[in-house]
Amino acid sequence: MKAVYDCEIIDQTEVSPGVYRTRLTGPEIAREATAGQFVNVQVAKTTDPLLRRPFSVHATSPDEGVFSLLYVVIGRGTELLRRIPAGEKVSVVGPLGRGFDLGDSPDAEHVVVAGGCGAAPLHFLCDALCAKWSCEKVTVLAGAKSKDAVLCESEFRAHGVDVGIATDDASYGYGGFVTQLLEDHLRRSGFGNPDRVTTPNTQHPTPNTRVYSCGPHAMMREVARICREAGVASCQVSLENNMACGLGVCMGCAQKVVDSQLSTLNSLPWHYERVCKDGPVFEAEDVIWE
Amino acid sequence: MGVGLGVRIGRISMKNPVTVGSGTFGFGQEMAEFYDLSRLGAITVKGTSLAPWPGNDYPRTVETASGMLNAIGLQNDGVDSFIDEKMPFLRGFDVPVIVNIVGHSIEEYSELAARLDKVDGVAGLEINISCPNVRQGCLVFGTSPEGAAEVVRAVRANTGLTVITKLSPNVGDIVSIARAAVEAGSDALSLINTLLGTAIDPWTRRFRLANVTGGLSGPAIKPVALRMVYEVARAVDVPIIGMGGILTAMDAIEFLLAGASAVAVGTGNFVNPMAAVEIIDGIEAYLVNMGFGDVREIVGRVS
Repeated sequence: MKAVYDCEIIDQTEVSPGVYRTRLTGPEIAREATAGQFVNVQVAKTTDPLLRRPFSVHATSPDEGVFSLLYVVIGRGTELLRRIPAGEKVSVVGPLGRGFDLGDSPDAEHVVVAGGCGAAPLHFLCDALCAKWSCEKVTVLAGAKSKDAVLCESEFRAHGVDVGIATDDASYGYGGFVTQLLEDHLRRSGFGNPDRVTTPNTQHPTPNTRVYSCGPHAMMREVARICREAGVASCQVSLENNMACGLGVCMGCAQKVVDSQLSTLNSLPWHYERVCKDGPVFEAEDVIWE
Repeated sequence: MGVGLGVRIGRISMKNPVTVGSGTFGFGQEMAEFYDLSRLGAITVKGTSLAPWPGNDYPRTVETASGMLNAIGLQNDGVDSFIDEKMPFLRGFDVPVIVNIVGHSIEEYSELAARLDKVDGVAGLEINISCPNVRQGCLVFGTSPEGAAEVVRAVRANTGLTVITKLSPNVGDIVSIARAAVEAGSDALSLINTLLGTAIDPWTRRFRLANVTGGLSGPAIKPVALRMVYEVARAVDVPIIGMGGILTAMDAIEFLLAGASAVAVGTGNFVNPMAAVEIIDGIEAYLVNMGFGDVREIVGRVS
């Protein structure tokens, strides 16, 4: 059974300006959550704001019964959350949604592409990939507007995975978009034909590369394009359409998804899926990018 | 505790006076992960049309002060999918199923009624003539007494199931529409559906919903809903399922006092997935504390 849990806030830390890491007690959530899933948090005990706020699970510590969130204070919900003092309890529903598929090939190379606060669930993913496969098979590429906004770099490095950083303003790492790092990485990574970036084909020239991404919509769309042209085995993106229920019942967070054949339901080449229930993680090639 | 919680809506026996608002509970599968659906007085499933409807463009929801707007557009897979894929799951629970039906024309409502009439496990039909987010049909029937009566007669002629008419608050005189629906054969009424509204983003200077307008729900609409339930309950002698902003048992009690025989939890399910069962327990505790022996003793007893 899923449930609504009262989770105590252990602490909240401002890890960089306007970015908070919140640790909460929640033995069930810490035990059950998988990378890419989210929790729905009641940030106020009044009716305004009315709806819960979805946050991806940033890290879990099943032995301690603790999980954490990482979020940018960007609106009323996140502002209210950051003001809740340690020791208070908040109502949390979760874990919810479908997380990342880590694959079943021991030979696969895993490339994790983070944009801004999209790093939040990817830290958990990195943990899971290291545990299931090996940190040596994992590369993290993280992009942000500026050096201050690069999140989780020390956590990623602590795993011992390869880390590449890109900043829009060139204040740290590569000056430019993280998608360029991905393109360069796939071109360099030694899987198959060096011309594959410009000559997409169906032969999967990088058949053993799996890409995982979370970040701004435009970034993930570009990640999807690069991966399609490179012919990677899998490219998964974590979407964050506005949700009302987070439970899969209201159909609010609808995302157009490609049908391989014309849908028998509505004779359109796409149908809607629910980001909160069928996602938030989708195969990038299934997503209709608008 | 021994207090009576059972109520009747038409020929539907509900073990307690709590159902859920159509469109806030899917077809039960997702909520069954939280509790045993047999605990509910009835399940009212998402609006179901004859053919599949794809629904509106995204964004479809936006939060507002103590409420939310939605313009889902009644996305659903159609009645065949409901009968073949949703109903077998729902038959696994000891709970009456009410199917909310939507159509673009009288003929579609008629055929839906006929198709659902003999489906094992379906206890009632809730005629949706109040959906604000569908361009053609639907609400058109709900805004005049003649339109409402026409749809109800067509459904009534094609089913022996309990017929419930769901009324729109976006009308000048809800009582005249309620009377027309009852005279046309509706066994019960449910009210209110959402209130038409919109929201604008001042920074992008764009509407927040792709559909421009949507239906307002949540605690913000409760006073309007209560007033309408009270007015309609005084004017008709069929049972009423009251809804509009119910989050707690005390909200539900207000609707019962206003004249509703049963209540539906809608947007409240989003805020708290356990809301419906907590409200059932809360109603029972209230009746015990206040010395009532049966929930029917408080229906309409506001003064």
